[in-house]
Amino acid sequence: MLERAASSQRPAASPTLSEIKARRRRKNLLWNALAYTVLVVIALILLYPFYWTLITSLETTGSIYEAKLLPKDVSLRNYFEVFQGTTVPFWRLIVNSLIICTLGVTLTVTLASLAAYPLAKMRFPGRDLIFYAILVLMVLPNEAGLIVNYITTIKLGLLQQTNPVLDAARQYAAVVLPGVASIVGLFLLRQAYLGVPIELIEAARIDGAKELTIWRRIMLPLALPTIVAFSILEFVAYWNSFLWARIMLPDKELMPLSAGLLELSGTFSTNSRAVMAGAVITVLPILVIFAFGQRYFMKGIEGAVKG
Amino acid sequence: MTTTKRRESRRAQHVRGAQGARVTVRNTLIAYAFMLPFLILLVLYHTWPVFFGTYLAFTKYNIISPPEWVGLENFRTLAADSQFWAGLRNSLKYILVVPVIQLLSIAVAMLVNRPLRGIGFFRTAYYVPVVTSFAVVGLIWTWMYQQDGPVSAVLRFLGLEARGSLLNNPVTALYAVMFVTLWKGIGYYMVLYLAGLQAIGRELEEAAVIDGATRWQVFVNVTLPGLRPTILVCSLLSTISAIKVFEEIYVMTQGGPAGSTYTALFFTYSRAFVDFQYGLAAAAGLIIAVISIVFGFINFKLTRGGKADA
Repeated sequence: MLERAASSQRPAASPTLSEIKARRRRKNLLWNALAYTVLVVIALILLYPFYWTLITSLETTGSIYEAKLLPKDVSLRNYFEVFQGTTVPFWRLIVNSLIICTLGVTLTVTLASLAAYPLAKMRFPGRDLIFYAILVLMVLPNEAGLIVNYITTIKLGLLQQTNPVLDAARQYAAVVLPGVASIVGLFLLRQAYLGVPIELIEAARIDGAKELTIWRRIMLPLALPTIVAFSILEFVAYWNSFLWARIMLPDKELMPLSAGLLELSGTFSTNSRAVMAGAVITVLPILVIFAFGQRYFMKGIEGAVKG
Repeated sequence: MTTTKRRESRRAQHVRGAQGARVTVRNTLIAYAFMLPFLILLVLYHTWPVFFGTYLAFTKYNIISPPEWVGLENFRTLAADSQFWAGLRNSLKYILVVPVIQLLSIAVAMLVNRPLRGIGFFRTAYYVPVVTSFAVVGLIWTWMYQQDGPVSAVLRFLGLEARGSLLNNPVTALYAVMFVTLWKGIGYYMVLYLAGLQAIGRELEEAAVIDGATRWQVFVNVTLPGLRPTILVCSLLSTISAIKVFEEIYVMTQGGPAGSTYTALFFTYSRAFVDFQYGLAAAAGLIIAVISIVFGFINFKLTRGGKADA
């Protein structure tokens, strides 16, 4: 820096091109250094709480809530504890979450991708009416949703207790069903289908293909990027949902992970570190999915807004 | 000429593409068969709640016996209920989050829009709180706010002394929860603004710079007007979710201490699922819905319908 400053003190009436360039480069360097500093500070504020939870969950001694940069000791004891020390076994919550996510994502994506096909590529009376009605529903606030859906769930008999296997199936359905008709998903998929050339579909129709075949063999493969993005969005949504399950499930054994975690923090008041271990386990799958699907994920979000 | 013609024919094809096969009874039935499962669930879980919820607001209902029409009684009860008013006040106070989160996320979006090495890492990292469940986020921040926790350490460093958890103090609890909403939401709005910024493109900004505009002038005269549609969407989303704030409160404070974080939707929740007064809860829900619509409209007006031009 000093050398460059000295060299720029050449006796010249006006700055030469190289001097202007050098000055701009220095200014840029300064701006970039500033930008990185701010970027790192923001990253620290947004990520440190996660890191702190992780290292605290690995400790077994010391004052628990203390701010720190490194764990005092590293042990998986809290992780064993969270699997053993509760009334509802933790692995059961994981299984519940996996079932709920699989069921939820499959149903949501299938139903939206089926329903979007006629709206994008068929002609039938009532099409525009249905489409606009759906859009209005998206805007309409749904404050009573929680209350009325709870009542509906009870009236449908989904919370009845008869025999264990059937009870479980019904309660999983009760958790999943209210979220299955995804208006955003329908919208995203319709947009994706609109881009499929009509010639492909017409050629298939002339060849005598059934609509279901066209949907499965032409529409689905061509809309795959959108379907992947939407599936990731839905996985994250189902994995993270907890309120509905907590309000509705009478059977704590059937709670998904996020909902069960809160149960844990209530019953596990003597050992916060074990709850932290549970929190880490709860976040981990989402971070993995997010890391791999980040590209699709962002596209899904942008698509949902631009739509 | 030929290019326009080609473009026109492509558009014609596109229109035909949207139309699809001939309208026949058979094709209509097929179309509805495709939509049937979706529509059944849509009506059951989205349309029905709007109508039945509105109806319930004018009834007394406890699930066991059928709803009993009571006219405006629920609304009179609410008007006389100081707890409901306190909840409503806190919900409106929560709107304070909106301008802060919008300004910060615009700033962050502009920062990560710079072509810097490794910027992708930062964009991804900032999104991590967004994809995390409120159950986990709420718990993490409850711990972070503990008396001897990291937040107290930061406050001490800044020369402030926090006695106990900020969440246990009626003066600070609401703001402490607001901070978590802000912390979790910034990445979400950042992505939306980033999309908006990229839609503006660099050309216009660079042209302004060449014309001798300062960075601030470029921001005010080029970037901000270009972002107006995004600002509308984002402020609309965040205002409505501020009025309906619930999950953070549910996990971190349960409305306490001393009702200082008791919001309107928390009132609705406790009337329905703690007291089983579904009619009264539905009435409160209806009021919140109307308030959201009003604020949505205000947002729309303030951003001049989100039109890109100033």
